[in-house]
Amino acid sequence: MEDVALVFVILVALGFDYVNGFHDAANSIATVVSTRVLSPRLAVMWAAAFNFIAFLFFGTHVASTIANDVVVQEVLTIGVIFAGLVGAIAWDLITFYLGLPTSSSHALVGGMAGAAVAVGGFDVLVSEGIRKIALFIVLSPLIGLAVGLIITVVIAWLFHRVKRLDALNKGFRRGQLVSAAAFSLGHGANDAQKTMGIILALLIAADHLPAGADVPLWVVLSAHTAIGLGTLTGGWRIVKTMGSKITRLQPSGGVAAESAAAATLFATSAAGIPVSTTHTITGAIVGVGAARRLSAVRWGVAGRVVWAWVLTIPGAFAMAFAVSLVVRALA
Amino acid sequence: MRDRRAMFFLLAAAMCLLLLPLAEDDSRWVTLGVSFTYLVLALASYLDFRGRR
Repeated sequence: MEDVALVFVILVALGFDYVNGFHDAANSIATVVSTRVLSPRLAVMWAAAFNFIAFLFFGTHVASTIANDVVVQEVLTIGVIFAGLVGAIAWDLITFYLGLPTSSSHALVGGMAGAAVAVGGFDVLVSEGIRKIALFIVLSPLIGLAVGLIITVVIAWLFHRVKRLDALNKGFRRGQLVSAAAFSLGHGANDAQKTMGIILALLIAADHLPAGADVPLWVVLSAHTAIGLGTLTGGWRIVKTMGSKITRLQPSGGVAAESAAAATLFATSAAGIPVSTTHTITGAIVGVGAARRLSAVRWGVAGRVVWAWVLTIPGAFAMAFAVSLVVRALA
Repeated sequence: MRDRRAMFFLLAAAMCLLLLPLAEDDSRWVTLGVSFTYLVLALASYLDFRGRR
């Protein structure tokens, strides 16, 4: 019976990964689509392919952080992890319906924390891990913003004497294929690893793996497949917000934003820090706009995004807390 | 007229400094580095703003 529950919750975790790809597909492809470098259909295929191959380039440090550094192992049971996932998925779907680019990653952390606290109180939270995640909630968009701005200024400085603007734009359109691929690679690396961390925690909780075990290859492959499939079938509601409502992007701006976000994701993935790909690319797009002038950024939309960030962890926490109580009552 | 962009960067630098107590030893340098970057950006933005006037 426990094995059936385990398989079921693993499928729910992969479902979360699928929803994550579906929800965040917009981040990977918004700038490529809004600058008309690729058609929407080709753009999602491009992003999905690089989401999938991310496992070839990055380790599993983020997975380990999710499995060990959010809540203490002792409180993690199949029921708690299930409740955390349900809370995170519910929050993701609500924000998706409302068209808000929220963060699946923070929904997951909030969900896991809420479900665990419902069972064991606030003492079950790992303060060191939660503090690091909280720190990078703020730092990742700020890093993306600064790097996006600096790359934009460097591009402007390098090419300001070029007279043939058509040829220059053509070059940047091609460059955007590379930067979008790099961003999708970072998205696959950081976000798929969160699901790997959940499945790893499940396998440890069900005594199928010892504490501190590495992520099995089948978990790595299935997580990347799920996020890739999610991206392939991704929704379009958020593309509008990310691609044109924050600031109007030219191909050079797209290259700058995606490169900045990709660099941030590569560094944080290597350091084992789970960050929001949505936060990072939003910061980078704002940075590109701010390089021109602050009024080039539509701060009303950026402000709505910030509110969604603020609400994500408490929202997912509350939902998972409630689901955890229900699961506990039914068990 | 004020340079709102420089003020925004100063605010970002201050926010990073406020986050320092949250940072563990291994991420303290990142927080300080981002804060320093925003200070430099604020200065560069102000010089750009003054040059344009």
